[in-house]
Amino acid sequence: MPRADSRLVRTGLPVVVAIVGILAGYLLSIGLSGYFVFLAVSAVTAAIAILGLGIVTGSAGMIALCQLTFAAVGAWVVSLLNVLEAPGGFVLWLLAGGAAAGGVGILVGLPALRLRGVNLAVVTLGFAAAADVTLVQIQFPGSKDGVPVMRPETFSSDRSYFFFSIIVLAVCGLVVYFLQRGRWGSSWKAVAFSERGTASVGQSVQAAKLTAFAVSAALGGISGGIIAGQVQLPFASSFTPIQSLALYVLAVMSGAYLIDMAIFGGFLWVLVPELLKRWGIPQDWGFVIFGALGVQALTSGTNLGQGIRNMWWRRDDARAAAAARARASSPAPASASTAATTSAAAPASRSAASGHALSVEHLTVEFGALKALDNVSLDVPAGSIMGLIGPNGAGKSTFVDAISGFLPNAGGTVRLDGVSLGRMSPTRRARLGLRRTFQQDRVPPSLTIDAYVRFVARRRVSSAEVAEVLEHFGCPPARTRLAGVDVGTRRLVEVAANVLARPAVLLLDEPAAGLSRAEHLALGERLGTVPGRFGTTIVLIEHDLDLVRTVCSTLTVLDFGKVLASGPQDEVLADRAVIKAYMGETEML
Amino acid sequence: MLQGALAGLAAGGLYAVLAVCLTLMSRLVRVVNFSQAATGMFGGFVAVWLVEEAGLPIWLGSMLGVLLAGVLAAVIGWIAATWLSEADTTTRSAMTVGPLLMLISLSFILFGNKPQPFSPIIAGPAFEVGGVVISQVTVATVSLAIVVAVAMRLVLTRTAVGTMLRALSERPTTAELLGIPSKPLSIAVWFVTGVISAIAIVIVAPSQSNDATSLSMLIVPAAAAALLGGFRRLDLAVVGGLLLGLLSGLVAQIDEVSLIRNFLPFLFIVVLLLWTQRKEVWDAAR
Repeated sequence: MPRADSRLVRTGLPVVVAIVGILAGYLLSIGLSGYFVFLAVSAVTAAIAILGLGIVTGSAGMIALCQLTFAAVGAWVVSLLNVLEAPGGFVLWLLAGGAAAGGVGILVGLPALRLRGVNLAVVTLGFAAAADVTLVQIQFPGSKDGVPVMRPETFSSDRSYFFFSIIVLAVCGLVVYFLQRGRWGSSWKAVAFSERGTASVGQSVQAAKLTAFAVSAALGGISGGIIAGQVQLPFASSFTPIQSLALYVLAVMSGAYLIDMAIFGGFLWVLVPELLKRWGIPQDWGFVIFGALGVQALTSGTNLGQGIRNMWWRRDDARAAAAARARASSPAPASASTAATTSAAAPASRSAASGHALSVEHLTVEFGALKALDNVSLDVPAGSIMGLIGPNGAGKSTFVDAISGFLPNAGGTVRLDGVSLGRMSPTRRARLGLRRTFQQDRVPPSLTIDAYVRFVARRRVSSAEVAEVLEHFGCPPARTRLAGVDVGTRRLVEVAANVLARPAVLLLDEPAAGLSRAEHLALGERLGTVPGRFGTTIVLIEHDLDLVRTVCSTLTVLDFGKVLASGPQDEVLADRAVIKAYMGETEML
Repeated sequence: MLQGALAGLAAGGLYAVLAVCLTLMSRLVRVVNFSQAATGMFGGFVAVWLVEEAGLPIWLGSMLGVLLAGVLAAVIGWIAATWLSEADTTTRSAMTVGPLLMLISLSFILFGNKPQPFSPIIAGPAFEVGGVVISQVTVATVSLAIVVAVAMRLVLTRTAVGTMLRALSERPTTAELLGIPSKPLSIAVWFVTGVISAIAIVIVAPSQSNDATSLSMLIVPAAAAALLGGFRRLDLAVVGGLLLGLLSGLVAQIDEVSLIRNFLPFLFIVVLLLWTQRKEVWDAAR
């Protein structure tokens, strides 16, 4: 299938689904009985709130236990604007409510810049509890005098209001769909997996976390605004912390970062209590059931939506594998696809004139009494591949951390294309064109290779470019999900993606670890073409001397934090001090 | 003014006891137990029912209720020890949100959502200092907090069980390989902290707003107090609890800022956390 088609499908299909959903909503709004119409609005509001939770908890991996507090903010603003008879009518009030909740979300999210995991959960629960008590005291505007919230004129009846809520849900769903697939979505998933990894590709960690909180809270606020229009006289009892907890549990259980599952969660939110009511069981059992299912989901680390998708994917993968086997058994012209990778015109090496892509002077890093790097100075000629070698503990990775900005207290100066980097954050350095990879696995598994590569590239790249660079580095095709790829290959994808970003300098921290011997050498060959094709200067940290020999024109040897030797490869490798450090004293005899 | 602050001390003692329990849990079994107060609440409600409906004497009813709270906590601990023994603190803690939700809902089903007619076990003034009355409840909770903190410290540092517990908390796998029975021990920790929390809640509940939600949400000020000690230090947890109690008692006196009172634990948490975590710029050490 041509790629243009799949692209059209990717943008067109959700819109079609949304339109079909709205049509179905219209039919339901005519067909359902009045009682069910009211329930259905509740399901819609819950679905919107869970959509929001799916972003902050599901994608960005932060525990937020105050979703209905954001809803209360939305409802409060809508009620206030209603009492004030503000111009613009309900739709505008709803947007204002969403915006206000988003603002509160950013405030609550601010602690998340330093707080993670359970600490953040405590903060959000504290906020929910405090806001609940306060809300009971101050009440919603207009609730004392019984001023009902005016619904939009064309949707004033219960039936048409349900239709209205469906439209809002469809719009929210579409917005979330495109956000999740865009830069923001990738940044949320990246920040959930690794903050360092996120910063090193030029994405601000702060922005990722705060946008997640803001979008999530705004959706909560819109959900609350619709509740205000639904009940017309909102009360604090609709927004208690217990319900926030239940929503959280429901979001975890259903897998709310998937839009369909968020809607399913909203459906469960009303279905379970309603069924209990029919069977004459107290409705509070609903939350007991949610709690039990939530414990099950959290202990097993799975959720409904992901479970279903995994089953689906396994079946797909099995089919693809069978098809591949069938193709392999039939004698096909297999040679055509290999080694057709040199088509792209080599871009003019942008730093060729300046001489040094990266120059480091007197770089010093101290951890307490230990000098991990001691007065390290070196220059990397533009368009070259420099090898950085040295025994374990020589300070190689510390060097990469310091250059890429993760050690702000490092002394000395680092210049990129002649520009001093000073105390810039890792994010800014990455944006200036200084990229790095990690020894650890820092590739977020919740992304597809395509989404990851585009996220890392930070520029518009065509599908053909993505496919080409992946093929060049021997990575799986772009559609593959990273979760299903082994760690060695993930790190190849990391290298490929960073190369595609066309940085001025790329620091590779043992990219070949986890690869087989044959793959080592293949990687070496591929890296060799990078400076010419992408205009990128490479600093390669590697233990495998064969790989270093084949690729690097210049070498720097570190030992105990000091530069032992630096210069052309053959000279450095012949240096007695280097041989001594590498081979030990006995080899010298 | 002083009277107000000291009136908050009874609640402060309760925060302190719960904070000590939370700190112990965090240190020994790597969890921030969101259902810490909820199990105590549920045990307390059952105790009320046993006394009011089943006609048991108050000491027996209370004891059974407290025991039940311990058993409930032990069940949650069993879940954590069985399925989440290798999971990180965040996942283990998130799991306890489920029981919190279940216990509150169950208490709505069984006991309704009204405050419960707790009959006070301890009541009346204990003594008077300079015209300010200190109630017996205050004395009881504050001393309970201090006694538990000191006793736990002694157990952890002076006894064989304490050594095992510390080994378990710091190197669970190594401890297990050394033959330390990790699962029974961690469940025991859950049980004991469950019992202690329940005792504190039963003592204070008659003089507090004692509906299911309010009691369960005591976890918030308790967590705030525990955070003063960074979920590590028992003494600071006690101090944090008492301080928070005094502060909210003080703020409650002033009408203009009474809304702030609600946000006091929240602000306490945010400020403390931001201060202690100010250097935690990154999620991983390297």
